[in-house]
Amino acid sequence: MTFLRLDNIKKNYGDVSVIKGVSFSAAKGEFVVFVGPSGCGKSTLLRMIAGLEDVSEGELYIDGRDVTYEEPAKREVSMVFQSYALYPHMSVFENMAFGLRMAKKPEAEIKAQVAEAARILQLEPLLDRKPRALSGGQRQRVAIGRSIVRHPKLFLFDEPLSNLDAELRSQMRVEIAKLHRSLGATMVYVTHDQIEAMTLADRIVVLRAGLVEQIGSPTELYDTPANTFVAGFIGSPKMNFITAKVSATGPSSLVLDGAAFVGGKLVVETPAAGKAKVGDTLTVGLRPEHLTVEPAQPVLALTLDFAESLGGSTQLYARGEGEPIIVLTAGRPALQPGDALKLGIDPRHIYLFDAAGLAL
Amino acid sequence: MRISTGKILHAIGLTAIVVFSLFPFLWMVAASFKSQADILASPPVWFFTPTLDNYAEIFSDTKVSGAIINSLIVAAFATLLSVVLGTPAAFALARYDFRGKSDLWFWFISNRMTSPIVLALPIYLLAMSMNLLDTHLVLILVYLTFNIPIVVWIVTDQFKSIPPDLEQAARLDGADQFTIFRKIYLPLGAPGIAVSAIFSFIFSWNELLYALVLTRRAAQTAPVVATSFMSGYELPWGKIMATGTVIVLPVTIFALIVSRHMVRGLTMGATK
Repeated sequence: MTFLRLDNIKKNYGDVSVIKGVSFSAAKGEFVVFVGPSGCGKSTLLRMIAGLEDVSEGELYIDGRDVTYEEPAKREVSMVFQSYALYPHMSVFENMAFGLRMAKKPEAEIKAQVAEAARILQLEPLLDRKPRALSGGQRQRVAIGRSIVRHPKLFLFDEPLSNLDAELRSQMRVEIAKLHRSLGATMVYVTHDQIEAMTLADRIVVLRAGLVEQIGSPTELYDTPANTFVAGFIGSPKMNFITAKVSATGPSSLVLDGAAFVGGKLVVETPAAGKAKVGDTLTVGLRPEHLTVEPAQPVLALTLDFAESLGGSTQLYARGEGEPIIVLTAGRPALQPGDALKLGIDPRHIYLFDAAGLAL
Repeated sequence: MRISTGKILHAIGLTAIVVFSLFPFLWMVAASFKSQADILASPPVWFFTPTLDNYAEIFSDTKVSGAIINSLIVAAFATLLSVVLGTPAAFALARYDFRGKSDLWFWFISNRMTSPIVLALPIYLLAMSMNLLDTHLVLILVYLTFNIPIVVWIVTDQFKSIPPDLEQAARLDGADQFTIFRKIYLPLGAPGIAVSAIFSFIFSWNELLYALVLTRRAAQTAPVVATSFMSGYELPWGKIMATGTVIVLPVTIFALIVSRHMVRGLTMGATK
């Protein structure tokens, strides 16, 4: 059942178009993540759902109701801001109670709701404190607490973890995931961090320059990226791209010419072979974690530039005739910078993109 | 411990400024406790037998006590009204975009560009034709035209420094504009409001020109009375200085009370 629906939403500031027509819908209880580089419009889109930014064009529905021009408070959404936006002159209790007071709830109910939220977020000992007496992680919890007390229909998160240090960030990430599971609420979460997107999302919306690049589950985006942008954005380290020319086509295979390949050629089995013609320029995508070192059938012949040991795994930076290549490999291969490096890959893990960057 | 030359020069500079600004004050307070002979002694006497005669004299003078009450009424209302009228204006200027916003802003500033004496005669004529001469009201109204711009500038600046996220969070929490103003902006803007209130109060309390022009007897304020002691034949310095001290005292106390608000960093912990 569709719970949140965006129908060709656009946002213009004067002549500048920031959101150029975004359509998408989310089911009840779904955790949707908007991800994209800074300036892609993901925060603007979230703020339009909240009602903090006007919608220039298009329609917005929450729980079947058209809320395109509705007041923020009447949309029954709550938002956790990147800056937390706690009221500095109010105690933690009053911060969480503010929305309930605005809704003129009876005092007993306010107390009960805040106590419940404080229990879930382990804020009970801090209720009398002012925000300035809290640590970053505690402020973050209060901000989340403030959003859950009102039992909104929709939770919005605007890069909530970007001000926390790495350890606290992964801890809070787990807590947000748990919270989503225990509340069963619909959440929309904005981040530029693809790890947050991959770990939290039921579905990811990848945005670039005000347009949706792809919508799908984290594994869908990883396995079948629609274009080079999504392929490069999802996954860490970034996918390697090699430019190659089609020199021969078969019914289900392509022969690609490229200086980086062993023997200058690469034969790829692909059901999409028919979409390419001889002479086409393609982009070959190889994920660093899919490349194998010193395989039986090498595909790439390169020179090792340098290696970074991460303890359990090693990141290799190699260069050949064309683009530099990154490899993520388990263990610690006995290689020195300058050594020849032969790499192989399971043919199923070769991605192909046409000249426009779209998946073949 | 080594003390750098820079720090020493800094301290000397600061001391010079403090002495320079406090000396007239000290001179006034000292003179208010001196007899006329001690005041006029040359070279000046630094050690003298303090006398309360000057104070006794001015407090027995109903003119002085009446003038202080007038000053209090005028300054308090001028301050209160300028804060009550100025803060909502500042809220609008800080947070809304509307047509003519910059013109309005400039108009507020330009109010203070005019030299007060230029307007003294027109205002006198206006007050006379409206039968407002020698009333508290005319002074309050005139002071408002000076105080509201002060309040608007200072408080607009203060309101602009409040993170807009707070207002948006409150909007999502269901607060209307007036509630946001009252529950978020007023408490968080308190330091700026306090500062602007001090300026308004001090200005209204000390103002001499319009008070001299627009009042005769009933609404005469303290600075006017202090100058009224000067007649062609005598200069009762002791009385003038004692009145001056009495005038300065409430403002000083007022400033000390509200200074607590100025130093408290209220917006700390709001974001990040």
